[in-house]
Order: sequence, then structure tokens, then C-alpha cells
Amino acid sequence: MATVNNPGRDAILARIRAGLRTPARELPSASSDGEIFEPVTNPLERFQQECKANLMECLKTSDAAASAQQLAQVLQSLPAGVIFVQDDPKLRSIMEMSRTERPIRWSSQGAPLEASQATVTLAEALIAQTGSIFVTASCGGRGASVVAPCHIVVANVSQLVPDLKTVLANASKQGRLEQTSFACIISGSSRTADIEKILVQGAHGPRRLVVVLQTGP
Amino acid sequence: MSTTPAQQFLRDAATKSADLAHRNIIRHNMESYDTAHLKGRGRFKDWEAARRKCQEIKREAVNHLDKYLLQFEEKVIAHGGHVFWAADGAEACAYIADLAARNSVKTVVKSKSMVTEEIHLAAALEKIGITVWETDLGEYIVQLRNEPPYHIVTPAMHLNRQQIGELFKEKLGESVPNDDPGQLVALARRKLRQAFFDAEMGISGANFIVADSGVVAISTNEGNGRLTTSVPRIHVAVTGIEKVIPRLEDLATLWPVLATSGTGQPITTYSTMIGGPRRPGEADGPEEFHVVLLDNGRSNLLGNAEEREVLHCIRCGACLNICPVYRNIGGHTYATTYPGPIGSVLTPHLRGQEFAHLSQASSLCGACTSVCPVNINLHHQLLHNRHDAVKTGGTKFSERTVFRLWRTAMQHPQLYALGGWVARKTLRLLYGVGLSGSVLDPMRVWSRKRSPVPLPSQSFRARWKKDLGRNIGNR
Repeated sequence: MATVNNPGRDAILARIRAGLRTPARELPSASSDGEIFEPVTNPLERFQQECKANLMECLKTSDAAASAQQLAQVLQSLPAGVIFVQDDPKLRSIMEMSRTERPIRWSSQGAPLEASQATVTLAEALIAQTGSIFVTASCGGRGASVVAPCHIVVANVSQLVPDLKTVLANASKQGRLEQTSFACIISGSSRTADIEKILVQGAHGPRRLVVVLQTGP
Repeated sequence: MSTTPAQQFLRDAATKSADLAHRNIIRHNMESYDTAHLKGRGRFKDWEAARRKCQEIKREAVNHLDKYLLQFEEKVIAHGGHVFWAADGAEACAYIADLAARNSVKTVVKSKSMVTEEIHLAAALEKIGITVWETDLGEYIVQLRNEPPYHIVTPAMHLNRQQIGELFKEKLGESVPNDDPGQLVALARRKLRQAFFDAEMGISGANFIVADSGVVAISTNEGNGRLTTSVPRIHVAVTGIEKVIPRLEDLATLWPVLATSGTGQPITTYSTMIGGPRRPGEADGPEEFHVVLLDNGRSNLLGNAEEREVLHCIRCGACLNICPVYRNIGGHTYATTYPGPIGSVLTPHLRGQEFAHLSQASSLCGACTSVCPVNINLHHQLLHNRHDAVKTGGTKFSERTVFRLWRTAMQHPQLYALGGWVARKTLRLLYGVGLSGSVLDPMRVWSRKRSPVPLPSQSFRARWKKDLGRNIGNR
């Protein structure tokens, strides 16, 4: 299908190959082949530090009950309206424990509604180096992390990886991008500095990104 | 006689560099950028090693471009997407317009993409009756003003909040108290929100396309790129063929380097990877995914080993920000899709010798080269282009004569001394009767808008003999 009615394809490839017959110039020898990034020594501490710099909220909890309580508090602070939750047994149980009375739309029912007040999802991993969360389409789909004004991520410290290199190598090894159509490394709330370089949070996506970070099982 | 791009460039450069309001806005923005950029570089343990790594990644990709593009294509098709190779802008626009027509698309949302600016995609879609919304805030602002982006990363860098407030009041019919940036953003968000949910097609660019995983990598801060690629039924990613990189892990270096060079951030807020349409069992996402690979003159650069390195560019905008010429004449003066040093290098290759004058829009100071995150030797590329322009376009008789005289003088010290003496005497005479800057003044280019350069009473050589040389020799 892709090559049907695409006369340009072979012509472009032929031009590329003709051009590449000219050998590349020598690369001047390396002046420094040192380590690019400072290695991450304390992932949890670094993650919390970077979250703060990214203007994310990181709420540390000890167990599922405490996580449910934190979640309930965040939900209480939001205006009335439906919330969208990734349909996962773990989140079903936490939502139940949180005793929220809000209407819930589960990801198994389809995309989040435009009017959702918040979305609640899991993450695939947390990245200490940049204070980021790694999500894929398995975490409630694509809109789950961007449609609502508030995105709440329920995660466990065991999901922390030191850096971007590790998270991408793992994703590659496990074939995550073969299995899902979408992945994203999210490092803070939606923002813009297009007007006079002044930082404004909540451009098109969430104004708030909350990580409920559970230390115990 | 119609104006050539070169004449227009000189005219606009003179106007812009004398526009004090413009200077203030650009100075403010560039100073904010400088601070953030320097701080950002400080976060790396070894910034030079990072640049070197990025250079190696792009070099590997560009030197095996056919192999990596085919690998990417195979993966995208295996994941249910479509790949279209477009030789030029017309082919790319025709493919997308046809796709839109077949699917009865009425509304398109776009996230920021310089390649779509290059091929004038929005105009092509509007011509067949489609409403096109630019959704990046800066792009939305310049779209409302009906002008091209001023900068490749911050399209509305030339405007202050008052001008944006005025624009919104005029075009959107709502005013914001004190032109508060937060409220201006909120107003744009409200206006664009409906467009996202109405649109049948979302069009994005790509910062990288990854061969080994078949994904398009898009960096955005606002989240508009996320909505553009999540909500509408069809997603089209338009990208240049040079954007391919070999491995997913390469992003671990490229993302932080791109973000640092672009805005000073450690990483862009949303670093997205998209590998196809929505899969069975996924909650949402487009049903169709198309990638348009655009050549549009890029493959012409491959045949020359030096020019080929221009294709390493990751479009971070760092060379624009540091460039003393860009900072004074502004982005629109270049009248090209890609302004600043990279634009001056690239445009004559993509659009022909009509833009050869841009190679002269540089003092060859090398600031651009010093910040380029993929180590492109930009000022040498400009020199290379000047060489090309002379070889193909030739030079004016007057220019050749002057340089011939100069060469002779440089080879004959007595003649040089005589020339210097004549010039000093003549200029002194001219300036003495107030003819500085007049048509008779050989220094007119400089002095018609400036006070004349003070003339030395003696030649440099005479001063050197007398005391200059001795003072230095004694040290």
C-alpha cells in the first residue's frame, strides 16, 4: 500500500545512493570522550529534586492505603466533574479505597472525555535523571496524560530507573514500541514561554502533574 | 525593474536594525535565552562530549541515509502506518491534500513544523477549502498576523505582550487585562480547544525519526503536539529525510542536547514517540498514520562531503540566537523558511543562487559554530557557499578590479604606502569640505549613516617605526 503510486520513492533513493558514493570527510579525532552526564547516585533523591524543578508534585506514601488517601485529597481539591482512570486492577482497588463519589470513566470505555477534570494512570517507569514519568498507550491511551487539567500518576519507587539511557534501552529490549503505538517521556506540566519568554503553566495540557509515589508494596 | 531578494534583504536589514522597539524585544528575549542556555549546559558533566556524541549519531545516519530510511519505512508499514516519499513540496502537499479530500476532512490541526512551512502546506490545504489551525501558541500568533514564523523555535519572538494582546483583541474579539501572559495563553487555549476536538486530521512534524524502532519522535512543551497526534482520526507526520537516526537509545543524548540548545531546558516537557495508528485494545489514538518523507533538494547536498554535514542539523535554533547579525536584523529579513546562520547556509542549496547573498550576512565570527550542538562548522560552510557563488555567479567587474589592485598593492610595499598616503590626503580633503557620506566619498557605505571614521595623521607603518613597534618589542 505504502509504495503504491509513489514514483518519488525510487528516484529519491537513487539520488541518495548516487550522492553517498562520495566518501565522507574524516572526523577530526576526539578531543574528549568523557562521560556526558553526571551519573545518578541516589535515584529517589534525584527524582524528587528534578520533580520540584519541573514544577511537578511528588507525594511520597508508604502503602496503598496512604496512596488512596493522597489521591482522594488531590481529587477533592478539583472542580466537580468526571475523572478518567486507566482500567487496571491496581487502580480499581485504589479508587475504591479512596471512596471518591465522582463519576468515573474507565479507559476500557474509550478515550477520555474533553471535559474530564482529571486523569489517573499508572506509569511504565520513573526517570531519576530528568524527574520524568514514562508512559505508553498501555497507561490508559494517548489522551490520558494530556486531555485533562490535572494528571495523577500512581507509581512505586521500584519503578525508578537512573536515566534516559536505561529507560530507552529497556523499552527497546522489551519491544515496548512494537507492542504499543505510543510512548512518551513526560517531564512536568504542560507549559509555554512563547510570550516574552515568561513561563506559563497549563498551555494545552495539564496545569498539574501529580506523582503519588509509593515506597512500600 | 523588480527588486531582487538581495536588494530586498539589504533594505529590510537597514530598516530592522534601526527599529528600536524591535531591538528591545529581541534583546530581552535573547538575554533570557542566553541565561537559560548557559545554565542548561552547566548541567552536563561534559558538554563537548555530548556535542561530539550527537555529531557521531547524525554522521552515522546521514552517511547511511538509504539504509536507515528503508529500515524506518519497513517498521512503520509493519505497524500499520503508511510512508510516502515526496521529491518536492508539491508532491508532499498533493499527497496530503488528496488524503484529506478522500476522508472529507474539513478541519486540520497542526503542531509546529518548519518542514510544513517550507512546503507551504497550510496554504495548499486552505486552497481546497480546509480550515487549518496552527496550535503552537507562537505559530497561532503569527498565523493570526498572517506572517511567517520569525524564529524556528519561538515563532513570535519579535512581539511583546502588548502587541499580542492587541492582536487577540482585534482577531478574537476578547481583551485581557494588562495583557497578562497567563491570561493570553488561557484565551488561546480556549479558542484552540474546540479545534482539536473538531479536527479530522492532525499534522505534525518530527524532531527525529528512529530507524530501529520505526517511531517518529516529537518534542513539545505545550502539549499541542500531543493533542494533534492523539485526538483526530488521521495523523500525518511530515519530515525531512535527514531527520532519521539509527537507534532509540540515541535519543538519550539527542533529547537533552536539543532541549538545552533550544530553550535551556534539561529535556522538553513531552518527548513523544509514535509508531503507528491506534492498536487493537488501545483506548484512543488515530485510525490512520502517515509519514511523509520530504527530499525537496536535501539529497543534492549528499554528493559534496562538506555540504553533506549541513544535513546533521537538528533545528535547535542556537545559531540564530547567538548570531550578532540575526540579533540585529531579525528573522523576517532573511525572507527564508530557515533564517540565521543555518538558513544562510542551507537556503542557497535548497532554493538556488538567488539566495547566495545570505552567505554574506555574516562577519564569519564563528559564534554559530561555537554553539552548534552537532558541531557543524557553520562559518566555514558560509565561506564554502561564498566560494560557490563566485564560481557559478561570477563577480562584478568593479569587484574584480578592486581586488586586483589590492593584490598588487599587497605585493608592493611602496605602492601600498603611496596608496595609503593618497587615500588619507583625499579623505581629509573631502571630509574637510563636509563631503563625508556623499556620493564622492569612497567610504560612503559606512559613513552615510555614521559619523566618519577619524583619520590617522600618519600611516600604521610610520607609527610602528616611530614608537608602536618599540613599545611592543620592550615587553
